[in-house]
Amino acid sequence: MAFYIKVLEITSLYTIMVLSVYLMTGLTGLFSLGQGAFVLIGAYTAAVAYLRFHVPFPLTLPIAVIVGAFMGFLIGLPTLRLRRDFFLLVTFGFGEMTRAALLHLSQLTGGALGMAGIPKRVGLPLLLGSIVVILFITANLKRSRFGRDCIAIRNDEMAAGMMGINVYRQKIKVFVISSAITSYGGALYAFVVMFIEPNLFDWLESAKLIVITFVGGLNSLTGVIITSMVYYTFGEFFRFIDVWRDVLLAFVVLLTTIFRPNGIFGDWELSLRGLFRRKHAAER
Amino acid sequence: MSLTTLVQQLANGLSLGGVYALEAVGFGLIFNILKFSNFSHSAVVAICAYFGYFLSTRLIHNFIITLIITTLFGGLVGVVIEKLVFRPIRLKTASTTLFLVNSVTTAMLVQQFFSASLGSNYYAYPEFMKQTAFRIGSITLSKTYLIMLATSAIVLLLLSLLLKRTKVGIAIRASSTDIRTPSLMGINIDLVISSAFFFAGILGGITGYLIGMTYSVDPFIGKVVLKGIIAAIIGGMGSLGGGVIAGLLLGVAEALLIAEVGAASTPIVIYSAIILLLLVRPEGIAGKRYLVKA
Repeated sequence: MAFYIKVLEITSLYTIMVLSVYLMTGLTGLFSLGQGAFVLIGAYTAAVAYLRFHVPFPLTLPIAVIVGAFMGFLIGLPTLRLRRDFFLLVTFGFGEMTRAALLHLSQLTGGALGMAGIPKRVGLPLLLGSIVVILFITANLKRSRFGRDCIAIRNDEMAAGMMGINVYRQKIKVFVISSAITSYGGALYAFVVMFIEPNLFDWLESAKLIVITFVGGLNSLTGVIITSMVYYTFGEFFRFIDVWRDVLLAFVVLLTTIFRPNGIFGDWELSLRGLFRRKHAAER
Repeated sequence: MSLTTLVQQLANGLSLGGVYALEAVGFGLIFNILKFSNFSHSAVVAICAYFGYFLSTRLIHNFIITLIITTLFGGLVGVVIEKLVFRPIRLKTASTTLFLVNSVTTAMLVQQFFSASLGSNYYAYPEFMKQTAFRIGSITLSKTYLIMLATSAIVLLLLSLLLKRTKVGIAIRASSTDIRTPSLMGINIDLVISSAFFFAGILGGITGYLIGMTYSVDPFIGKVVLKGIIAAIIGGMGSLGGGVIAGLLLGVAEALLIAEVGAASTPIVIYSAIILLLLVRPEGIAGKRYLVKA
């Protein structure tokens, strides 16, 4: 039983990260290979605050979120003016930079040895609760004017600008929200796994977040969650084929983009009304 | 830093920069035509590094022959990747974001495939020469590095001739300006794109071989391509010459920084410098501004 709880914990943790990327990649079409940096920032802020400065646990989470959001703002300010591909690359650089900096500041962060001895303070209830809250926020943002602005930017940046959307500002808002949620996930990570090190979330993990969003379907929050749950649960159960599952994932992604460019779940969204009517309440 | 180490680091940096320049051009060729960042270039590099290793240790021991075979193999890999991964979505006229996703996925696929099948072991190329270094006065120069520099220079020269003089090269350049019009002029655009991937693959093959020969081969070897992509961006997308200059500069800067501030802090300095540069000149050193159209 303990094993299943552990699996569920890890899966929920990564699902939070995937959700954090959904707003940015799924709705706005921004690709960041540097989400790992925000995971690290969140995890290390929480851990350093707790272990070195003896901040009580409930306070560490908000601190991590604020630091993450602020870093997101700082990085977003110069880079979001750039082309999407350049943004991708600069965020990748930011990820490498963060890793190098954490290795460098070994007095505070323990360097390559990482930080051990973090108590387990986060259980399944808090994780699932967080998912529900984040899901609620994201789903509502998606249906609001904010989300529609994002979709407009994703589909055609120039046209969105012409329609009076401040593209740059909207992108910054999205990026800050996204990095705040990712940092929150990172902080939870520290208190679930109880050990953190600079290599825990590399560019490949960040790329997986993007890729899972695409497989699930850019327009389908439900699809993204199902895909992420399936992928990470699968990974925990089949530890012995660890690396091969990424090869498998890559194949699935290529097949999906070629045969179903809108993702496996397309536009399908789980909703109460849709269930009663037995009809797909498709919304764009 | 003494004068001797300075000269030595300069030479090393130039040779490393030559390889970055190769990567930048291989990357830029595709970017110019299809306007997306081709991260799958790292897949070609990784595959060719392994191919070159197995070829030179198991079958043929001659340096020149293995280099040429690996190079051609790289071109083949480039074409295959284009056919399998990019052509299907191109024919559906998908958005550029899908190209980006597929290229990142291909890079991931190859890296994870090698680390799953061959493990994270290091494979070292055989020694091709008896003496690995020679001295001029008090300066020691590594032969491998010189070969790297010479090969890159020759290849880049040949490529620029090819792009300027041959029919294929002119077609590639025409498609770089505008992808639709050449097809109205009776140019087979599929063939042009395939040949661009072939040439990019050739450059990737040489890169993989040289990098593998200088260091050693492991599943994460494809990561060196990111330096080339960075060089392409600094140099300005759309300008192959700018990419070459930026690649050389990057190599020299890296070699000097490693000697001066150490290998650990070098990425911090380089990436912050790039972010600053992009802040001032988002279009790179020699590039034109691109508007993102739908």
